[in-house]
Amino acid sequence: MGSSPHIVVVGGGSTGTGITRDLAMRGFDVTLVEQGNLTHGTTGRMHGLLHSGGRYAVSDRASARECIAENRVLREIAAHCVEMTGGLFVKRPEDGEAYFEGKLDGCRACDIPASVISGEEARAMEPHLARDVEKAITVPDGAVDPFRLVVANAADARDRGARIETHSTVTDLLVEAGEVVGVEVEHEAGPGERVHGVEGGREEIRADHVVNATGAWAGRIGAMAGVDIEVRPSKGVMTVMNVRQVDTVLNRCRPKGDADVIVPHETTVILGTTDEEVDDPEDYPEEQWEVDAVIDTLASLVPMLRDARTIRSFWGVRPLYEPPDVGSDAPTDITRDFFLLDHAERDGLPGLTSIVGGKFTTYRLMAERVADHVCGRFGVDADCRTADVPLPGSEDFSVLRDYMDEFGLRSPVGRRSVERLGSRADDVLDVDGPNPTVCECEAVTRAEIRDAIEGSGSDLNAVRIRTRASMGNCQGGFCCHRMASELHGTYDEPVVREAWDELLAERWKGQRHALWGRQLSQAMLNYALHATTQNRDRDPADAGPVDYAAFDDGPTRAGGPAGADVAADGGQNGN
Amino acid sequence: MSDADPSGSGADPDAGRGVEPTDPGADEGFEPVDVFPDSDDFDLRPGSDSCYKCSTCDTNCPVAEVDDDFPGPKFQGPEQWRLKQNEDDYGIDESVMDCSNCMRCDNACPAGVPLSQMHNTARGQYVSDEMSRFSRKYLRNRVLANYRLFARLGSKVPRLSNALLNNRAVQWLNERLLGITGEREFPSFAAETFREWWTARGGAAASREHAATARERRGEPRDADKRVAYFHGCYANYNTPEVARATVRVFEWFGYEVAVPEQGCSGTPMFANGMLGDARRHAETNVASLSALAERGYDAVASCTSCSMALRQEYPELFDIDGIEAAAAHTFEAVEYLRIHEDLRDAVADAEVDDDSAAEFVYHAPCHARNQGLARQSLELFRELDGVDIEDAGDSCSGISGTYGWKADKYETSMAIGEEMFDHMEAAAGETGMTECPTCAMQMEHGTGYEIRHPLELLEAALVDDG
Repeated sequence: MGSSPHIVVVGGGSTGTGITRDLAMRGFDVTLVEQGNLTHGTTGRMHGLLHSGGRYAVSDRASARECIAENRVLREIAAHCVEMTGGLFVKRPEDGEAYFEGKLDGCRACDIPASVISGEEARAMEPHLARDVEKAITVPDGAVDPFRLVVANAADARDRGARIETHSTVTDLLVEAGEVVGVEVEHEAGPGERVHGVEGGREEIRADHVVNATGAWAGRIGAMAGVDIEVRPSKGVMTVMNVRQVDTVLNRCRPKGDADVIVPHETTVILGTTDEEVDDPEDYPEEQWEVDAVIDTLASLVPMLRDARTIRSFWGVRPLYEPPDVGSDAPTDITRDFFLLDHAERDGLPGLTSIVGGKFTTYRLMAERVADHVCGRFGVDADCRTADVPLPGSEDFSVLRDYMDEFGLRSPVGRRSVERLGSRADDVLDVDGPNPTVCECEAVTRAEIRDAIEGSGSDLNAVRIRTRASMGNCQGGFCCHRMASELHGTYDEPVVREAWDELLAERWKGQRHALWGRQLSQAMLNYALHATTQNRDRDPADAGPVDYAAFDDGPTRAGGPAGADVAADGGQNGN
Repeated sequence: MSDADPSGSGADPDAGRGVEPTDPGADEGFEPVDVFPDSDDFDLRPGSDSCYKCSTCDTNCPVAEVDDDFPGPKFQGPEQWRLKQNEDDYGIDESVMDCSNCMRCDNACPAGVPLSQMHNTARGQYVSDEMSRFSRKYLRNRVLANYRLFARLGSKVPRLSNALLNNRAVQWLNERLLGITGEREFPSFAAETFREWWTARGGAAASREHAATARERRGEPRDADKRVAYFHGCYANYNTPEVARATVRVFEWFGYEVAVPEQGCSGTPMFANGMLGDARRHAETNVASLSALAERGYDAVASCTSCSMALRQEYPELFDIDGIEAAAAHTFEAVEYLRIHEDLRDAVADAEVDDDSAAEFVYHAPCHARNQGLARQSLELFRELDGVDIEDAGDSCSGISGTYGWKADKYETSMAIGEEMFDHMEAAAGETGMTECPTCAMQMEHGTGYEIRHPLELLEAALVDDG
């Protein structure tokens, strides 16, 4: 394969990893570079809705048709990432009848299976639904775990020879003779798996073609080679509830607006969202009123949300794009369609292709189009197979196992583990020796943590997105230190400490927006626990190496060897 | 005859239904998702919102303390409910059957997580969905949970039943065939049940007379509005009628007219075995009786702390039956009721017991008494009684937890939990045990060989002249 064209893909979200897998399957030599963890940008900050297309069935039928087609594909190739919860478009008394009918017609026109049920039938499905909901349309919406999906794409690409570099920021595009010939990256911790404390460095990665799949960051990459890419990043807030108040995706049946969707996601539901244009995809205000507004509005669909426990909130930026001549005012009006920008044709800059716009549900299709384009460029004749070949973990598997007999796990723990691991369950869970639960909220065992560490170095946030450990209601209060101690043995103490700090900081980030009521009590308990049992509030080791010699080694008895009789409990008598 | 006949000759919830509890189909009417058919709260996942994962419940769980394989109340309750999806094939882990339903976790929790409600509901769901109706354990649990039915039959021929049940060959068979431990002696059936005694004594009419006489003695109006409905439960009826008789006499001594309404099992052994269908059937009878009496001004009193616990807490948590809130709100533990409404402390301080009843007692507070805040009441009451010494056997669980310690596979766990209590009993000066709970009493006797009395028996000896 030495003669295969080398493609650099910039961006480790769903689109970037999808492109990397597709190109690797078609025989290209591919390198993926991502500035943070996989899913660091928009992919890790979405509500996990696998669209049926119903949402776009009135305003944007082309997108709706793509959604339902890709929805069907992902159920097959990414079965272990998808939960087919079903979805409802629910009509409240104040929502227009005409829009409801339009939604139904739109769904049918786009080949989206849809039928109307009464308010009573809807409440039989979802008992916490508001009493005054009049009727609903059922659609095949689902929930998808973006972390698992992206990791599976990357893992498969790697198995097919691709190089995956996370925590590697593109600092420049290499342009020679009017053509993009590679990227310059700054590795935070050296190439390969990320290990804290390993010295980073610059690397020039030369390539036959560069794909810019950085979504909301696409303009920034384009500017490095002097091309304008008019992405219009738009922020939206998502609020995570502690439990699943609903088991079905609930959409409000009215024209697209703020706070109109509730998505059951693993053990939680995620409320979303808002839509507001921002200048910078990395620096925008995260405001409490946005969270309050989302909870308040969605409580009209599910009243118990008003008093339910919120465990965190996060903001994501949509990578919206519209051709410069459209000029929409509001971000809600900007199309959710995707655009492939061939910079050779568009800007006279060969060697670079950008993919912008679009949405998570159609990531595979976007990747297919980009890979087709790249194939065309290099005259490679290879068909796309990503719609047929399952991702690792999604080969034939059943979640109905005898968890105790096969893995020694209590049934909900085993069930959750097998749902996450899919067909990899036997490889990961069938271990000798004890396999205690490390994260109790999300039922993640030591075996799964260790498997994740093998794939992600010392980066505990990477372990987190692979396993969901620390993503439950205590938000890592009881498991971050346990996760960190699993690094011990492979990594030295300062590395473990740094990884642990970083995980705690990340967990804190989203919790800041949920500090009232029960989650405030949780945060106080976590704080007290971490301060009193782990010295987290004032750890001398944070200031540098600890001078152990400064500590008294206890009384020495005349005649006896020094230190031999020191009482472990700090008392006076050594024996 | 009214549907809540205070004379105590009402129908029996076990009778006339044409269903034997051991019939494999008998419990199938129970649908776990319909535990709260008319309520929004049938789904207990939101209950886990209150759990901060602090694990205080786990450190207070007597089973987890001795059994490393038991995942503990936090797992059984909020964790399992949170992980569970509302999907048919999302099962309940079988370890919920190792929970003894002592309910200590309820009291331990600083955040008000409805732990025992979650456990009871999960257990009901496990038994209903995942336990074979034809398994030996199911049959055994059904038999133990429905002890009342067998007691009713057995006490018709008490001498024969007593001889049979404690015959070595029968005990061996019980262990082999049913998995009921042969290590324990079955409690004997009384020659005359409490209800037989009550009817022979003249029922409610006689009680009215006794109460009126006592009011005169006490200087209260003859027609004072003092009425209680006595929930005697099964054990005091069939096995220890002396406790039930003492309760009646003590209440009458304070001027209360006692009613003995129609009643079934409180449900405690049924909850603990996940037999929620059986429990509901009995609850319907009890709620009908007690709520109707409550409307007529009767509070209910129970001499068994697990019975009062079931009526007060578990009923409204698990069932939606007309009148259940009223029945729960009007139920009290018997001594607690007297402490609230009478000057029990002074009455006891002024009394003394003669040589026959005078003793040094070692008292064990049942877990279910603790949950009602009653752990100290007998100690504080009787330490003022002349002629009696009483010592606390500590705060450990006795380990038997009703039917739990009767199961062959749980016997060892039960005795390991009880060890601390046995040690404390041996170390105490007294050699007579005291507790409110009939099965704690069995365990105390089994572990030490002591005779065990009920606080109401001592109250009767102290207060009532012609006991």
